[in-house]
This record gives sequence, C-alpha cells and structure tokens, in this order.
Amino acid sequence: MRNFLNKYFLQLNYLWAALLFFSCIKLASAQVGLIQDPNVLMWLDKMANAKTQLNYTVSFVLSKPGSDPQPYLWRHGVNEHGIEMEQLDQLNGPGREVVRVGDKVSYFESHRAPYSLASGYIIGPMPNVLLTDPKSLLSSYDFVIIGKSRISGKIAQQIRMISKDKSRYGYNLWLDQETGLPLKINVMELNGQKVEQIQVTELNVTEQPDPYFAKLEAATMPAVIQLEATEEVEKLWQVDYVPVGMKQIKHSVRQLPDNAGSLEYLMLSDGLVDISVYMQQATASAAESDIVARFGSDIYFSRKQGPVLVTVIGKIPANTANSIAASVTKVQ
Amino acid sequence: MTHKHENLSAFVDGESQDDNFVSDILNDDEMAAKWQRYHIIRQSMRKEMPISADFDVSASIAAALESEPAILAPKRTWRDLPVISNVVPLVRSGGQLAIAASVAVAVVVGVQQLNQDEQQVFNPAPASYPGIQGGLSPVSLEQTQVTPAVSVRDHQRRINAFINDHMEQVLLKDSQRYLEDESALVDEVKSEANQPEVNQEREKLPE
Repeated sequence: MRNFLNKYFLQLNYLWAALLFFSCIKLASAQVGLIQDPNVLMWLDKMANAKTQLNYTVSFVLSKPGSDPQPYLWRHGVNEHGIEMEQLDQLNGPGREVVRVGDKVSYFESHRAPYSLASGYIIGPMPNVLLTDPKSLLSSYDFVIIGKSRISGKIAQQIRMISKDKSRYGYNLWLDQETGLPLKINVMELNGQKVEQIQVTELNVTEQPDPYFAKLEAATMPAVIQLEATEEVEKLWQVDYVPVGMKQIKHSVRQLPDNAGSLEYLMLSDGLVDISVYMQQATASAAESDIVARFGSDIYFSRKQGPVLVTVIGKIPANTANSIAASVTKVQ
Repeated sequence: MTHKHENLSAFVDGESQDDNFVSDILNDDEMAAKWQRYHIIRQSMRKEMPISADFDVSASIAAALESEPAILAPKRTWRDLPVISNVVPLVRSGGQLAIAASVAVAVVVGVQQLNQDEQQVFNPAPASYPGIQGGLSPVSLEQTQVTPAVSVRDHQRRINAFINDHMEQVLLKDSQRYLEDESALVDEVKSEANQPEVNQEREKLPE
C-alpha cells in the first residue's frame, strides 16, 4: 500500500512538473513570440508550398451572414516557365472572373469594363496572405495545432489561429493531410461564433496544369491600370491605437464621392485583415451620427470623436473598431 | 525503454501503426499511467482541461462497461450478417452520438476559457458604445439620438459609399506595393500608354 502511494505521489509530481514546464513554455511563447511549435511551422510551409507550386482545381462555397452561400471555382497551375497562373470564378449570378498570370491580375466583372492590376494576389474570398505567406502573420497571431478530422472526404489537419491581443477574429484552418491545401476555413469571433466560412467541396491535384490555362493568352488581357502616386499633404489626424502586428500602410487626404469636403484616409493592415479609417470634420448633420452596422462579415462603425467624425470599416469586432475610433487624436 | 516511450508518444498523437502496441500498453501499468499523463498534458496545452481536477473517468467507464448488457458490444461478425445489418448501425450511431457529446463538452470548456481570456485581456469593462443597444444585426441601424428628419436612406447611401471605397482600397492595396516598387511596373506602364481608355475606367472604379 505504502509502495503504491509513493508511486502515486511520484507520478503526481511528474505531472505537475510537466504541467508547470509546459505552461512556462506557453507563457514564454505567448509573450515573446519566439518559440513556435515546429509542427506548426512545418504545416504552414507545407500549405504555402502547396498553394504556390501545385496544379489544382478547387470548388468551394463561401458563406457569410446575411447572404446566400456563394459557390466558386478556383484553379491554379504553374507553367513550363515556372510562372504561376490562377483563376477564380464566381459561379452564381452574373459572375466575376479573375485571372492571374504571374504578377498581373485581370478582373472581369459584369458592371464595369475589364481591367488589370499589378499584384501578386487575387483579391477574393480566399485569405491569400495566410495561404501564401503565413509566416508573416506570426507576429500578429498565435498558431496552435488542434488535431485531425475528416473534411470533404479527406483527412484534415486542424490549425487554430488567434490574434495575440484578441483584437481580430480568429481563424480555424483545416488542411489536407496529403497535400497541405486548405479544405475548410472558418473565421470566428472570440466566443466561437462563426463570421465567415469557406468549405471546399472538391479538391483535385493534377500533374499538369488544367487545360484552361493553355487557352489563356497574355496579349488579350486588359492593360494594367496605372495608379497615381498620392501626393504628400499635411495630415491633421492620427490613430494612436494600433492592434498588435498591424501597421499603418496608407495615409492620404482624398475626396469621397457623395461627400463634400476633403477627408483623411488611413489603412491599418496585418496583411490578412485590412481596416479602413476615415476621418473628417464633424458637422451637425444627423446622417453622420453614431452608427454600427454589419455588412457581410465586415463591420461599419462611425462615431464622433470630438470635432472629428471617425468611420472604421473592416473585418474586425465592434470592440476593436471602437478602440481605434476612440484613439484618433490631432497630430501634434 | 526509450523506444517504448517514443512509440507511446506516437500512439498518443495517433501516428502509431502498430496494433500490438495497444495490448502492450494494456499489460503494462507504468505505460498505461504514462499514456494517461500524456493525454492530460496534451489537453492542458490545448486548453481543453476540465475545470475540476477530477478528470479520470476511465475507471467509471470501465465499471459501466462491466455492467453493460453484452448485446451492446456486438462482435464483428454481427455486421457481416445481412439481416441484422440494418439494426447494428443504430447501435453504432449511438456510439457516435456519445463521442459527439464528449467533443461538445470539450469545445464548451475551451470556449469558456477563451471568453475569460478575452475579458481579462481585451475587454475590462462591458462594452457601451454610443449607438449600440443590444447586439448587432445584419441590416438594422441604431442610433442614440432620435432625429426624425433623417431618413434611413441617407444612412444607407453614406454607408454604401464608404463600404465601396473600403473595398476599392483593399483591392488596390497590393498594387500600391507594386507602385512603390516601381521597377516591377515599368514594362506594364509602357504598354499601357497605348490604351488610355482603360485609364478612364480607373475613374469609374468606385461605382
């Protein structure tokens, strides 16, 4: 009996020592952000390599609150010169087709003439920076491997991603065990409520790029739009609260259609989530009064902050939008 | 010995292919205890620990299994019989339900912890923004002051203008990077000089 008790206590000691040890590691990694589970890095590399190097055809469905689920077709291939080709096609309604060849992205939309942008990404429902360059998000998010499950008929590895300061929505990724390509992506609030979901319904990885890409002719694509460089104007306002891992990537003074007078614009981004902040002189007009609204998974938040009317738009919780709006101050 | 431990570690991670290993663990008290500890450690790292420390239910499950009628644990050959195959899935789905229920419990615990974190780290005081009463709904707009002079359409127009602009900014975000890195654009800009009509499209983008 005594022997047994001894053994029991010894084991208990081991257990607590182990717990303490691991919680220390956890604390250290949470605060310093240096120690990262090598398995996580392995999976992120696998995902990024698969996304950029494989030939695949993916069908997926995008669900957002307040609208019908949207089916998409997404194809990717690498041609014999090593140039990436990508196509994203919205399948319901008048549609929207986007074709990327290398660094040239051409948009074909029903409501305006086709145009091209110089960009490495298709701007669409897929979180491109997360899929292509996930390591750039290590300073903003904690990645945790959750375990395996079955998604779209395949074994999937689940990875959870939570912003370090809890200021942004979390992501749940399910990656194909075999190829590393995404099978399901959930965007969720901190209480676990879903904000947006991408569910892959079919995933085909092939030796050769899809025959569709052979028909693409670079010459027939619309020309690249030349963006005007924004001229330096004196800025009146600044945002003092920037969520962990975010940077201010734009700050300009512009005109908005429908809006008399000039307005100051700045964009905060961690690469994955983009937040627009608009600042303008507040007037007595009631149309500008404090409003919170939801547009799909984006939040629209405006409030008067002293003499300035601040409008914050982005895929963020209302809490964060409020903190950003409240931190607007006059440039000293 | 260490080889054994490696195997155990792999087994806990679900990566072991060796079926005999299960019986090895069953027959070895030390290994069984270790198996349990590994699981507890894993759970704690994933923040899936139950709140009370009374987490070893394996004994009570074993006791329950003992008292279970034998019919609930059919042998494999049962399923091969065509007549009964309609019945057996019911039993199996019962097992799946039980698994699903236990998963749900784990999820709820995890979420609770997450919430606590959130409140501590980010939200020290309950949110009270101007304008929000109750939760957010997809279409409704709520205001603090009652100003009858302004129609909902004015709000909507303003909101649409801003949201369109936001989307355009996001669309052009990555191109901005290319603009700053001008060398990437030089070739494209030259070819564009021949097609000024696309430039005009640029002006129409916000619509």
